[in-house]
Amino acid sequence: MNGSSDHPELEKPGQRSAMQPIPETPDDPGSQALSDALRSSFKIIRVVMIALLVVFLFSGFFTVGTQEKAVILRFGKPVGTGERALLGPGFHWAFPYPIDEYVKIPVGQLQTVNSSIGWYATSPGAEAAQNEPPPRPSLNPATDGYVLTGDENIIHVRGTLLYRITEPGLRYTFDFTNTQAHVQNSFDNALLYAAAGFKVDDALTRDVAGFRDRVRARLNDLVAQYQLGITVDQINVQAIPPRQLTAAFAAVLEADVRRGKVLNDARSYENQTVSRARSEAQARINTGENERNRMVKEINAEAGRFTAFLPKYKANPRSFIEQRQIEVLQRVLTNVAEPLILTRRSDGKPHEIRLQLNQEQRPPKLPEAPKDEH
Amino acid sequence: MKRNALNITVGIVLFVIFVLLLFVFQVRTTQVAVVTTFGKATRPVTNAGAYFRWPWPIQEVHKFDERIHNFESKFEQVLTPDGYSLLIMVYAGWNISRPDVFFPRFGDSIQQAEENLEQVVRNAYSGVVGKHPFSHFISTDEKELKFVEIEQEILKRIQDDTKASGFGIDIKFLGIKKLGLPEGVTQLVFERMQSERQLQENRIKFEGERMAENIRSAANLESAKLLTEADAQASRIRSQGELEAAKSYEVFQKEPELANLLLKLTSLEMFLKGRTTLILDEGTPPLDLLKMTGRKQP
Repeated sequence: MNGSSDHPELEKPGQRSAMQPIPETPDDPGSQALSDALRSSFKIIRVVMIALLVVFLFSGFFTVGTQEKAVILRFGKPVGTGERALLGPGFHWAFPYPIDEYVKIPVGQLQTVNSSIGWYATSPGAEAAQNEPPPRPSLNPATDGYVLTGDENIIHVRGTLLYRITEPGLRYTFDFTNTQAHVQNSFDNALLYAAAGFKVDDALTRDVAGFRDRVRARLNDLVAQYQLGITVDQINVQAIPPRQLTAAFAAVLEADVRRGKVLNDARSYENQTVSRARSEAQARINTGENERNRMVKEINAEAGRFTAFLPKYKANPRSFIEQRQIEVLQRVLTNVAEPLILTRRSDGKPHEIRLQLNQEQRPPKLPEAPKDEH
Repeated sequence: MKRNALNITVGIVLFVIFVLLLFVFQVRTTQVAVVTTFGKATRPVTNAGAYFRWPWPIQEVHKFDERIHNFESKFEQVLTPDGYSLLIMVYAGWNISRPDVFFPRFGDSIQQAEENLEQVVRNAYSGVVGKHPFSHFISTDEKELKFVEIEQEILKRIQDDTKASGFGIDIKFLGIKKLGLPEGVTQLVFERMQSERQLQENRIKFEGERMAENIRSAANLESAKLLTEADAQASRIRSQGELEAAKSYEVFQKEPELANLLLKLTSLEMFLKGRTTLILDEGTPPLDLLKMTGRKQP
């Protein structure tokens, strides 16, 4: 027993000397049991030691996710410089602490920062429930945020900024105690700066996109200047008039809309009137054209007839006239509704004829319906 | 014998570790340190890595966070030279650049450093704001707006002051976080804004009506013009027709009497086209035939 110990360094000398007398009484079953128990507990300790060593070595393994990178610090200093210090996604190993230390950097992950100035005192809960406290006549600088516009008006603005850490991300991770706070301050400054150069109507309604662009440009300037090591992905900006003046601002917008409607009405009147005038003008021109054509045609027809009759007339003017006269009378008489032929009285006195000129009261013996023209 | 060698090895390893712990210290990439010899700052360490030192009580190592801290001032009232009261809050990024200067002044306390910084910052922005009229802070005129210049001036002043008073810190950047007006003034601003809104509302209204009126009258004018032009063109066309007709009239000059006769006949026919009552003398041919028979009868 005493010679078979595999790990003598695990046993303290005091223990050994205490255990020496045990084999002198081998028949004692109690001692036997004790020595068995000790031996098995040594085995357990040995296993535990090996396990601890393995755990110690394996604690150097770590995984890097797809959305992140990692850096190993050896004695507190990054291993490699710039891009080469970065470990990509996968399985890695580093010496256990205190030699090495690894730091994960969430490169590529979208991060969100909200602006902290520019909005009146409220809470998301109250806002969602539309249960905000009514506005007081003035703004308390300690609680109510607002910004001043270039034309000395007060408006509320707030925004959400989405950004990513730009690779390698060492500066973002190691050079600031609280990078998010710096990002937020830059964002606040950008909102303040953009408002300071904008007219109130442009910021609120007329040039909302321009306002946002100005915020973004300023933010990018600051990010570059402060070397925050981020890339701005998206900016949302909301700007509203002070709640104390909601009605007044709404009235202006409404007037604007109404003006648009009035102008539209006027423009449609313009369209209608002008196009009506245009078609009327065309019609008048067409009428003129028609009249010209008819006139020319008639005169030509007349001239044709004249030329046709001319030889006959020349041959015997008198009989030609009579013939024409008879022809015409013939045609006329067939059309005439009521021909009256007056014979000469035998006494040579003239006839007396009475005419009733009102055609409506003409006796209805006529075959046609009475007409008011003649 | 074998056991002894092993014991000695273990002993040496333990001893080496002990010595290393006593004589070596580590500075992380985010840290700077200062080594003090008998309590006096003797050696700053600004680069990360492992360094030698004498064990306590000869030398001690004080480590500091080297990263850029975020400082935000209070929101305080300052006066512009043109009499405006302005509330201003600034933020700054600063870090410990010279631990050997920082340590004797503030010890290990970042907080104490920030309290001192607060004082310096306040002096700086009061001084700078006192030189700029209100229109340099907010203006629609890009030339008048001196926002960035003001920030630079404040930063410059703080940098100079902290250097002069030996803070051992570096101000990396500075910006205005908030601008405001005293509470009472906001109410006055609201009143002014209210009346401006009203003015604008009226202006928009009248402008709209005026523009609409202009459009309408322009439309009327335009259509009148179109019609006049059309009338002019139509009469031009008609006179063209008359001109053409006049050419044809020349034919009638060959025998004016016949022309007259034909014209008369045509107009007679036209005239009697409707339902007419015609009273004729029996002498009119061809009715003169009736007269001959009538004379025979009695």
